[in-house]
Amino acid sequence: MPIYAAPLRDMRFVLNELAGTAALRALPGCEELGPDLIDPVLEGAATFCTEVLLPLNQSGDSEGCTLANGAVRTPQGFREAYDGFRAGGWTALAADPQWGGQGLPKSLGALVEEMICSANLAFGMYPGLSHGAYMAIAKHGSADQQALYLPKLASGEWSGTMCLTEPQCGTDLGLIRTRAAPEPDGSFRITGGKIFISAGEHDLAENIIHLVLAKLPDAPPGTRGISLFVVPKFLPTAAGRPGARNAVTCTGLEHKMGIKASATCAMAFDGATGWLVGRPHRGLAAMFTMMNEARLGVGVQGLGIAEVAYQNAVAYARDRLQGRGLDGAAAPDKPADPILVHPDIRRMLLTMRAMTEGCRALAALVAQAHDVGQRHPDAAARQAADDYVQLMTPIIKALFTDTGWEAAGLGMQVWGGHGYIRDNGMEQFARDARITQIYEGTNGIQALDLVGRKLGTHAGRYLRSFFHPALAFIEAQSEVPAMEPFLLPLSKAFGRLQQVTAEVARRGLSDPFEAGAAASDYLRLFGLTALAFAWARMAEIALRQGPEPEGFYKAKLATARFFMQRILPETSSLAAKCLAGGETLREMDAALF
Amino acid sequence: MAIAKVAVIGAGVMGAGIAAQVANAGLPVVLLDIVPGGAAAAVERMLRADPAPFMRRAAARLVTPGDLATGLPLLADCDWIIEAIIEKPEAKRALYAQLAGIRKPGSIVSSNTSTIPLAALLEGEGAALAPDFLITHFFNPPRYMRLLEIVRGPATRPEAAAEIGAFADRMLGKTVIDCHDRPGFIANRIGGQWMQSAINHAFAMGLTVEEADAAMGPPIGVPKTGVFGLLDLVGIDLMPHVAASMKATLPATDAYVQGMREQPLIARMIAEGRTGRKGKGGFYTRERGPGGESLRRCIDLASGAYRETQKPQLESLALRDLKAFVAHPDRAGRYTRAVLLDTLGYAAALVPEIADTVADVDAAMRLGYNWKYGPFELIDRLGPGWLAKALTEAGRPVPPLLAMAGARPFYRTAEGTLEFLGTDGAYHPVPRPEGVLLLADVKRRGPALARNASASLWDLGDGVACLEFHSKMNALDPGTLEMLGKAVALGRKGGFKALVIYNEGEQFSVGANLGLALFAANIAAWGEVEGMVEQGQKAMLALRAAPFPSVGAPSGMALGGGCEILLHCTAIQAHAESYIGLVEAGVGLIPGWGGGTAMLHRWADASRTPRGPMPPVAKAFEMISTAQVAKSAFEAQEMLILRPGDGITFNRDRLLADAKAKALSLVENYRPPESKTLRLPGASGRAALQMAVAQQAAMGRVTAHDAVVCAHLAEALTGGTHDQTEEVGDAELHALERAQFMALLKTPATLARIEHMLETGRPLRN
Repeated sequence: MPIYAAPLRDMRFVLNELAGTAALRALPGCEELGPDLIDPVLEGAATFCTEVLLPLNQSGDSEGCTLANGAVRTPQGFREAYDGFRAGGWTALAADPQWGGQGLPKSLGALVEEMICSANLAFGMYPGLSHGAYMAIAKHGSADQQALYLPKLASGEWSGTMCLTEPQCGTDLGLIRTRAAPEPDGSFRITGGKIFISAGEHDLAENIIHLVLAKLPDAPPGTRGISLFVVPKFLPTAAGRPGARNAVTCTGLEHKMGIKASATCAMAFDGATGWLVGRPHRGLAAMFTMMNEARLGVGVQGLGIAEVAYQNAVAYARDRLQGRGLDGAAAPDKPADPILVHPDIRRMLLTMRAMTEGCRALAALVAQAHDVGQRHPDAAARQAADDYVQLMTPIIKALFTDTGWEAAGLGMQVWGGHGYIRDNGMEQFARDARITQIYEGTNGIQALDLVGRKLGTHAGRYLRSFFHPALAFIEAQSEVPAMEPFLLPLSKAFGRLQQVTAEVARRGLSDPFEAGAAASDYLRLFGLTALAFAWARMAEIALRQGPEPEGFYKAKLATARFFMQRILPETSSLAAKCLAGGETLREMDAALF
Repeated sequence: MAIAKVAVIGAGVMGAGIAAQVANAGLPVVLLDIVPGGAAAAVERMLRADPAPFMRRAAARLVTPGDLATGLPLLADCDWIIEAIIEKPEAKRALYAQLAGIRKPGSIVSSNTSTIPLAALLEGEGAALAPDFLITHFFNPPRYMRLLEIVRGPATRPEAAAEIGAFADRMLGKTVIDCHDRPGFIANRIGGQWMQSAINHAFAMGLTVEEADAAMGPPIGVPKTGVFGLLDLVGIDLMPHVAASMKATLPATDAYVQGMREQPLIARMIAEGRTGRKGKGGFYTRERGPGGESLRRCIDLASGAYRETQKPQLESLALRDLKAFVAHPDRAGRYTRAVLLDTLGYAAALVPEIADTVADVDAAMRLGYNWKYGPFELIDRLGPGWLAKALTEAGRPVPPLLAMAGARPFYRTAEGTLEFLGTDGAYHPVPRPEGVLLLADVKRRGPALARNASASLWDLGDGVACLEFHSKMNALDPGTLEMLGKAVALGRKGGFKALVIYNEGEQFSVGANLGLALFAANIAAWGEVEGMVEQGQKAMLALRAAPFPSVGAPSGMALGGGCEILLHCTAIQAHAESYIGLVEAGVGLIPGWGGGTAMLHRWADASRTPRGPMPPVAKAFEMISTAQVAKSAFEAQEMLILRPGDGITFNRDRLLADAKAKALSLVENYRPPESKTLRLPGASGRAALQMAVAQQAAMGRVTAHDAVVCAHLAEALTGGTHDQTEEVGDAELHALERAQFMALLKTPATLARIEHMLETGRPLRN
């Protein structure tokens, strides 16, 4: 069975040393954020994830969910795990204290999320979706809706879903067909079918709160004609208890490649009772305000998978004895050396590690900006932080989930033939990781978001939040000799990114196809450069430390050097691909494919 | 007889404005009003008005105000007497009778009537006035509207009309269009019918005010005020007056009269004083919101109640092709089709009744109503055959002119010449008066010498080349500089003798492309930006040092980099309506292409500047730190952007010919100006400027970032580390400008200013 130990040392490093908690403590509601608060949360989450969630990961995968008579049963042990999860207060971590939440910042919440995703990605879907529903109602619901639903969602008594996709529309939500007909009492009758609804039906909570996109009778065509409705599985009574069964049913479960313990449902709304959330026709705008957080969340899923795949690959590489080291036997007393001695195994492990730790660092920086953007009293400070979150969101979603998939693949590779065997658990990571590159906006859509929306908005103002601090860092460190191994590669990648950014923006202005053609390579180029900046900052911190027994900073510096020398050069080929233009994508006649 | 002195009787908006424009041209003008003290008050009012009727304050001194009761003797030496009194024939005739004994023989009298036929004005008049009399119909505001409609009577002396025409053209800058003596002449006849049709169809077809204005605006080449916005602007109460006058003078069978409908809502609005911008609001109005903010509201045509303005959401409005627009089945498409059928059908029926040619009609509508296309140009865009078919389908007669055209367009280009279809069925060249040279005509004749996306180089003949900008708003970008460099290189090789920098866009240039600069700044591409600044400085110096003369010929805005190009030309020939200035401070920057250095030289060289290193610095600092813009070519003279020897052209159509003539006049023995050095005050001068800024700051006139911009500007203008004991050359001053420019560009406050300007069009006061 796969192992997992939460990387608490590295988590404390990115939170306390890299991002720094001083800035967080300056925010309203975060004044108490110190080790006394942080450590119990991190350690408690680590224990729960290792002891409760991890053991259910493989069994949940092989058992999956089952549907009978409209009821979905989650795999054995999930019900108890969910109860424990609720009892531990984990559903309420990020919720507002007003609704019974703990009001903890994203900077801390994202680390807990990562642990859950490492231990049991499928389990994490249930509270994750509930949090999405919580946010939708918190941001757009009426006071009554908030008072009714938010405490239940925060406590986890009730869970939530997001019902967007229909058979004929995924990315293009303007094509939605589900209808909402107004009733005299102010409610609506919702009619239509939704698919791919995670946690659409299950046995973990006593009620399920669906947030449904549908069209009003007078809706304008396209995405400006979509409204958001709240549709509970059981209509709440006056006392706020689950009452009459609503006309929303699960009509099928999808058979998926991975996250099998997550119930992916087809849902039928047959004149179900619902209530409008927010303004008519503004449903998609309401969804968009939560999109950033949801996409950051999916990015963290990729990070979680990468971490657990790395840990299991390292453990195997230490144990597995095959062949002898190329520069001499490392374990002459044994029949063969552990495969950890082989350069290609090391290449794979270091690639996984450098990407994983880089992503964790970047996630911490963006999570902190998210907290500043949400909580800072000064509007200008909020805007500057939010600019950075806007810019980095598509990068985190796509780069991190690609990293999860690649790391899962490398993990299997380290395991050799045994990685391909189900019982060993390595291939599950790959199967689970694969969906993260697809849902919540495919990674191709993320790339289009980056070049189409994030580059040009406010004449490139979002870009400032990355380019200016990065250049300031490069300039400030340019006289530090020990930083040279990190600074030179960073400067080079930075210059490439500048050049390609200007060029992609210029071409995209007159020809959107050109921007689209460069988008995916551009996103990865940007992402790797952002990781290089994070690695250089981590190296700078590590260089300032004295001797330490555990070798944490020594490993940081070694990994940083590996990243700069063995991963970052990829930016050169990415830049070349971006600058090559879209002609080869355009010229092939459709009939010739 | 040359016109050397003018009189205007009636100091209302029109009369006073005409007098101001005569004064702008530099001629003395008598302004009389029936209300005692009214003329003097009108002059005072005009000095405070915005937009200003006067091109410079000093022009007001050329106006001699007087009272009608006592002032008639002042008219004795006037060569042209313009009557602009109340629109009552008897009142006008009584005034003409009074003039008989006073005006000098051969002097010309004209009426600014907009509605009364000439025959009615002369009714009962003796033969004495008729030969000297005509109608000169100006448009409001007289300084800015370029159309002058002239109506001659059968007895009017041809020389009198020619003289007034020539004076109005060259001195007042008007395009003179000969009209026949028909009600409303050309522009108001067609424009009035268009407004009436657009209003009535909007009510009948159930469009919102916003939808009607969106349809009657840019999609058909009309300003974005559309129809209801235009009514608010001119005064809604004007409508019934115009309608009554048209009804009284036009035959009852005329389509204008037949189309008249009483709209109860409009009658009610007028009765309640909701007559538009001059009254208590109109179709649009502004209300205070709950937070004291100003909210734009709009009237609902069905209920008459005001509501939040709504952006029209109709598919047809996004169409660029006019044919597709009027064929679209949605409300706006059907509406526009109905209005254009009325208006274009009406216009086609009015030639030759109101004018000799379709070209005259189109010119009148372009210049009198600011339409981008006249009615016959619009017909060509739809196709004359399409219009004839659509009229027939609607059961309406096809006007003879349209029938004659058949499938032929009203305009064509033949052998590089623009021709119009005459009433004789043949094509004739669109006449261009002597001394009018249009780049549009040059472009019809052949390809450019060189061209890129931002600018082109054209051959004007006689060895003169023309550098034309044609980017959006003529913003300057690397492409513009590249073409400027090409022009200089071509001239150096002897490709031409002189260069004119001119274009026929609305603005000469709004300055450097800020979007490009901001994007580059946002990605911290400082090297690129500094390179662009340096490239610009080099291009400016190359232009100034070129072995051939160059003439900058601006019209409209010449801001920032656009101004700097002018400052590096050998000479400037400016359209009177040029708005020039170094406005970089508004976006938190200083001029980067040598503008500051050039202004230092201009003030140092001027005889009126006191001696010593400080006065030129103080002058340049004042102008640049406040982002001062000249509101006319004359104000640009006062600011020394124009120097003695630079010229001003009143008529927009004559600007290129004047600039070309100026360029040719400079060719013989041309030597580029020697590059001079300056003695600048250094740190002590900087201290003086800083003190002045601190004083302004104490009075709350300078924002925090204004002070930062001032400090960098002072650094550049005072010579940095140099002081008055040293001679400083342009290369060093440019390096200083560049350094200060870059330092400012790196401040978040400057980036916020640029972003705000790009997104709102207004400066941010941070």
